[in-house]
Amino acid sequence: MQEKNISANNFEQCQKCSLCETVCPVMANNPDYGGPKRSGPDGERYRLKNGIFFDDSLKYCLNCKRCEVACPSGVRIADLIQQARIDFNKKSPKLRDMMLASTDQMGPLASTFAPIVNFSLGLGPVKSVLDATIGIDRHRTMPKYASKTFVHWFKKNAAAAQDGFKKHISYFHGCYANYNYPQLAKDFVAVMNAFGYGVHLMDGERCCGVAKIANGMIPAATRDAKINMGAFRKSIAEGRDIVTVSTTCTMTLLEEYPELLKVDNDDVKNHVSLVEQFLYKAIASGEVKPVWKEGWKARAAYHCPCHQERLGLGIFTTELLKMIPGMELTELESNCCGIAGTYGFKKENYAVSQKIGKPLFDDIKAAAPEFVACECETCKWQIEMSTGVPVKNPVSILAEALDLEKTSELNRP
Amino acid sequence: MRFDVVIIGGGLAGMTAATELQRSGLRCAVVAEGLSLNNVSRKEFKAAGGTLLQGDKVTGGVIKDGRLLCVNTQKLGDVVLEADSFILATGKYFSRGLVADMDKVYEPLFGLDVDYDPDRSTWFDRSFAAPQKFLEFGVNTQDGAALKDGEPIVNLYPVGEVLKGISSAGSDASRAILDSAEAAVQAIKGRN
Repeated sequence: MQEKNISANNFEQCQKCSLCETVCPVMANNPDYGGPKRSGPDGERYRLKNGIFFDDSLKYCLNCKRCEVACPSGVRIADLIQQARIDFNKKSPKLRDMMLASTDQMGPLASTFAPIVNFSLGLGPVKSVLDATIGIDRHRTMPKYASKTFVHWFKKNAAAAQDGFKKHISYFHGCYANYNYPQLAKDFVAVMNAFGYGVHLMDGERCCGVAKIANGMIPAATRDAKINMGAFRKSIAEGRDIVTVSTTCTMTLLEEYPELLKVDNDDVKNHVSLVEQFLYKAIASGEVKPVWKEGWKARAAYHCPCHQERLGLGIFTTELLKMIPGMELTELESNCCGIAGTYGFKKENYAVSQKIGKPLFDDIKAAAPEFVACECETCKWQIEMSTGVPVKNPVSILAEALDLEKTSELNRP
Repeated sequence: MRFDVVIIGGGLAGMTAATELQRSGLRCAVVAEGLSLNNVSRKEFKAAGGTLLQGDKVTGGVIKDGRLLCVNTQKLGDVVLEADSFILATGKYFSRGLVADMDKVYEPLFGLDVDYDPDRSTWFDRSFAAPQKFLEFGVNTQDGAALKDGEPIVNLYPVGEVLKGISSAGSDASRAILDSAEAAVQAIKGRN
């Protein structure tokens, strides 16, 4: 019996050319995974007939979306796979998966006890226990939690000054900048302020939901998505467009909401930009003017994260970084780092995760840059852990390279 | 965003021309829909300092007074790619450089003049192994520049399979593809 006969993700366009298979980082490293063509458009033909054809190996998909970038026929292969997991995987997520995925529930808890959490998660015995009990791989360096969240810092130290600016934006900070790495968010505020933009937070901002989607917590992700879109609409109505820093959050907000969660964002899309895209356009149009620090020099290698590759906005990052005098930028060959959010933390995926990342790690070691420039937070964990080379977000690089005082004088209305 | 040359399409012809132009000191951007380009040519182009927009797609452009001024892409929104010269390397039917309807064959991006026989029955031979005429269809040019409504777009150079008379089925196909890329490279170097 055919249960459905219309496909939303145009799998009929698949011409079986197999280009997607040549770029799939999992297929090359995990023989248990059938690959994007078989799991996506091929499997979909069977699943449309009957759900019993759903194959559990779809869980190995990283959702890196490289297959979609490679597809010459525009098939949304990764969406087909994620959608099948949503529709047919009836197993409820494990405790570990729920913990890894609930970044905005675990965040406040971990931040409150940050010194203890950071200390314990660094201990060998604790790691062994986590490995044995819930399956978080012992080799993984756990992300650090900040004892004061960004939101806490912002309300206390920065919020009051923001209304004094002439132009305004809303900042979607995401979980990582808030709980794990507030310095990134502070750099963002410093840079935007220097360019003359007041930064505002959106009341009730929720996690974008990417980790919940990956771990099968769809109702929770959908609820968060609706709250976020409400907050975005309110901000837009108040004349403030939304600027984001995380490429994965941005891909989720712009593409996964309508495709996977069926949360409409058509009216919101054009008001959301990645910070590099926003600043490139502002500088290129002459809207704002940067003043660079004299004598600042760096030799960096740019790693384009998978979800940035999918968004297709990496060109704004490289063009923006190339504007910095004294920046010697090489572009690394586009490869997945292997961590894919919560994927690489799981015991069953650790070995594959490191294997996937190896070509990138080798490239980084060969390029021997002072640091890697990269927009993605989980790539940062993976690259720093696996190569020892520090990873800096382009926003933090700008905060370093800009003469913030002179820039803010020049852009003061 | 401004470049010296924007190359539309990242196949054999597009990447070959792009890499040579980038190496000659011109600032090049390749818009490559899908990953039709191979690893070696992609690496060489990037190593030469070229800009690759991978997985993006040119959706149209602005033509004025016989010149292509800029192109739009799917991903870059309101940011256009401007250039002095453009190379059209979008291939034939599979990559949708050409589109065949029941009664016509057309070039979908700019509506360039395509040389084809209006009598559909002549397009193909029912014998699978026979030469297929539809593979010879392609964009018309004058001194290497694309023609639209009989007039040249002087800074738009079609190369590779999108061109009339070049077919991947021919025995010397790759030679013809590379020769067309080389001709465009020389023409663009001559302009700059």
